[in-house]
Amino acid sequence: MNSADYTSQDVTRVLFQDFPTWMILSFYAVAITAIAIFLYGVWAQIRKYRRGVRSGAWAPFWPRFRDMVGTVLSHRTIRRRAPRAGRIHSWIFYGFLVLFIGTSLITLDYDILGPMGIRLWYGWYYLAFGFVMDIAGVALVAGLLYMMYRRKWLALPKLDYTRPDRNPGDPDYDRSDYRREDWAFLWLLIAIGITGFLLEAARVVWLQGQPAVWDFRWHAPVGTSVAYLMMGLGLGSEGAGSLRIGLWWFHGILALSFIALIPYTKVKHIFTAAGSLMARDPDGKRRMPAADVDAEKIGFANLTDFTDKYLLNADACTKCGRCHEACPANASGYPLSPRDLVLSLRELANDNLSRSAMPEGPIRVIGDGVNMIRPETLWSCRTCAACTEICPVGVEHLPMIVQMRRALVEEGNFDPMLQPTLKSLQKSGNSLGETKRKRPRWTRSLDFQIKDARKEPVDVLWYVGDYASFDPRSQKVTMTFARILHAAGINFGILYEDEQTAGNDVRRVGEEGLFQSLAEANIELLESCDFKTIVTTDPHTYNTIRNEYPEFGGKYVIEHASSMLERLIREGRVPTPVNLDYRVTYHDPCHLGRINKGSEPPRQVIDQLGLDLIELPRNRDNSFCCGAGGGRIWLADSPEMKKPAELRAAEAAGIAGLDVLIVNCPKCLNMLEDGVKGTGNEGSFRVMELTELVAEAMGLSADPASDREAEKEPA
Amino acid sequence: MKILVMVKQVAFLDDEFEMRDNDRDVEEDFFEKDLNEFDHFSVEEALLIKEAAGDDAEVVAVTVGDDDADDVLRTALAKGADRGIRVWDDALEDADGISIAKVLAKVVEREQPDMVFTGAQSADFGSAVTGMALAGILGWPHAAVICHLEYGRGAKTATLRRELEGGLEEIMTIRCPAVLSIQLGINEPRYASLRGIKQAKQKHVDELSLDDLDLDAGAVAPASRVRRMYTPEKGQAELITGSPAEQAARLAEIIKELRG
Repeated sequence: MNSADYTSQDVTRVLFQDFPTWMILSFYAVAITAIAIFLYGVWAQIRKYRRGVRSGAWAPFWPRFRDMVGTVLSHRTIRRRAPRAGRIHSWIFYGFLVLFIGTSLITLDYDILGPMGIRLWYGWYYLAFGFVMDIAGVALVAGLLYMMYRRKWLALPKLDYTRPDRNPGDPDYDRSDYRREDWAFLWLLIAIGITGFLLEAARVVWLQGQPAVWDFRWHAPVGTSVAYLMMGLGLGSEGAGSLRIGLWWFHGILALSFIALIPYTKVKHIFTAAGSLMARDPDGKRRMPAADVDAEKIGFANLTDFTDKYLLNADACTKCGRCHEACPANASGYPLSPRDLVLSLRELANDNLSRSAMPEGPIRVIGDGVNMIRPETLWSCRTCAACTEICPVGVEHLPMIVQMRRALVEEGNFDPMLQPTLKSLQKSGNSLGETKRKRPRWTRSLDFQIKDARKEPVDVLWYVGDYASFDPRSQKVTMTFARILHAAGINFGILYEDEQTAGNDVRRVGEEGLFQSLAEANIELLESCDFKTIVTTDPHTYNTIRNEYPEFGGKYVIEHASSMLERLIREGRVPTPVNLDYRVTYHDPCHLGRINKGSEPPRQVIDQLGLDLIELPRNRDNSFCCGAGGGRIWLADSPEMKKPAELRAAEAAGIAGLDVLIVNCPKCLNMLEDGVKGTGNEGSFRVMELTELVAEAMGLSADPASDREAEKEPA
Repeated sequence: MKILVMVKQVAFLDDEFEMRDNDRDVEEDFFEKDLNEFDHFSVEEALLIKEAAGDDAEVVAVTVGDDDADDVLRTALAKGADRGIRVWDDALEDADGISIAKVLAKVVEREQPDMVFTGAQSADFGSAVTGMALAGILGWPHAAVICHLEYGRGAKTATLRRELEGGLEEIMTIRCPAVLSIQLGINEPRYASLRGIKQAKQKHVDELSLDDLDLDAGAVAPASRVRRMYTPEKGQAELITGSPAEQAARLAEIIKELRG
């Protein structure tokens, strides 16, 4: 580096080289203005979020910050189910990050260290810097080109912004502004990247006579290649000098505009997504928000009832469409897209909370007005948590929906069909309109007595649940499970007439007062019993006792039947001598698989039974809801809609030679049997609970009542 | 303006139950109790009138029953009734519809309402007598099984529609105050959330005894009493299936059996 003509100090880029003073001053004026616009925007956005209720969701700050940084740097959430888009987004992210850091280092060198007499940006540091920046620029531009290709030529339905919750012609139907913004963003950023290279190239051509520049030109291979291209096209040093001034300003204005625009456009996701990820509640999909039922009001009726975290969520959404694609309501033609719900909320907040003064009066969120969320949208939700699970930026749609449902229930604004169910739940603790006395009636068909856990100590308390107790088809499964436990010699008991629904769906439908009253009564009952663990065949019950009862003082060890069976088979307590030669597939219940990470034990049981398992295309955390959750099993699906269960049955029907579609939840059983009939597949494969296959492998006959009858006959 | 809505706590029966030792009623363990279905509609109708009338309208829910019956008052209060009145005396244990009407008439005299609503009937005993007996005792105009009502604050008359047999309906004008018994389906009753029901505990409920109403046990002695309650023996029926020959064979078998 020590040529006669220059020292390593000269191997650098001279900032504002040959600029007249007025030009430098103009640049600083523009830059300061841009930063001021940026800061004002940031402040205005923060003011908007702080007009919601304070959630404290960012505490404890540092552990959450660390987790967020890990998530962002690894792109873990963006890669899920879209590995290519995720990987290429990381090119853009890292390209942008490196270029941003690089530009900041120059500012540090020139505007902060420079005046202090310190200079670092020359020699090897400068050369390496240029190389890294070139690579980053390539990553950025290539990534953006792919994203343009993805938007334009892959034409993914999840990116076309078709709204299921509005009709064409509605004033808020049109989302073409979003599309324009998407493209403006891509073009602006790619223009910044490309003009950066052109500028770099023009400088090399312009300064080709200076050995300190020319000798090291290949440290920036891309820029220099472009420079050769320019020279090949006949550009000389002088022309390049003029071109460089023009490009310099163009590039500078674009970059500064970009900075100024961050808080006002989708670019803000750089910050809002990070903030949203930090506030993410790891239990958000399992445990609905706590609520004081004695307070004056409950739920989210007005925009200012939303917490700051949810308002930030609304701004974090990048419209990637993963939730839109995963939502069973949307897939079935219901007027709900989690994405559009969040975007409506965003628009409503921008319309009402962005000005210096708040509008007078309450800002209603639910209704038929522009950008309001329709009640039917909220009632379409199955609370399967597919949206909350897959959102790469930590938006929690599900708790928001439940909060808004709470407000609707409080106003009595819901499907009239729901009212008898809720009244039945108030009166007798079940959703099927049955009396309390009827709850344990299924036990009568057994040829043994199940212990009464209210009266004697047991090892395992079996919390049966509503559908498992009352639904005729599920009762068979319930009896089967009882017989398996009996055969395995488990010391178990049930709560007989005193069991009430655990309340998972009651809470998700928005009847929080009823849920809390059920939870308190059930916990009081459980506390009066002597048992070691709880088991249930119902994933809804499992979720609520496991994740929601602790809030009310009920802390229990609870297990889903499938993991208990897995253990009993493994330990040899449930022998499975009969070889089952079925080709099966397995439908993950949302509340077991996605919501409680219970995807593997049932698969292990399937493996233990020697069944030939072919996975459904959507499985485990990406399972597709049967449509029953969130109280939807209590409401009729209107005939013109497809049912989620029918879509699922069709998915299963795609597996050649399928014998059994295995379910693992009483509600899934109910829904999918209907779905299989509705799609005309009842001749091709059966719907069975995992428990029933275990019983078959044990050699227990399918109908427990027939055993008893058979025994009785000779007498 | 004041509307009194008479509500009743009714019993729902399990499909399996046992009788009390005296054979005059079902054992209480087999009941689940709730607000009479018809009363959801009469309460709703009163609330709709109140909401249309504005703030100075008052809806008062009235029931005759022991303290267990507070639950149904709270349901009405949770829906929006302003206060409740519960009348009880052990002498009312076996009260029939006429006795109850006598008690309610005293409550009406005390409260001086502009309108009285009852449900068309109770879901458990279904006599449909209390409302009309009340009107008779008061000497007020009355109409039963109302499926549409137009009544505004301070109006001298109300216009209503009643369901008659054979799909007929009649439109009547009635002088106010009046006693009206309300049919199912006249409106869409609102839901009382459990939170609302709990919070309704803060609303005022007057507890009145017979003394408070200048009545005594003799005055409300029932004019009728239940002698026996029982499940009548069921007749037999059998669906005969199979081929015509099989069906004929089975039929012949049954005839032989019955002839002995």
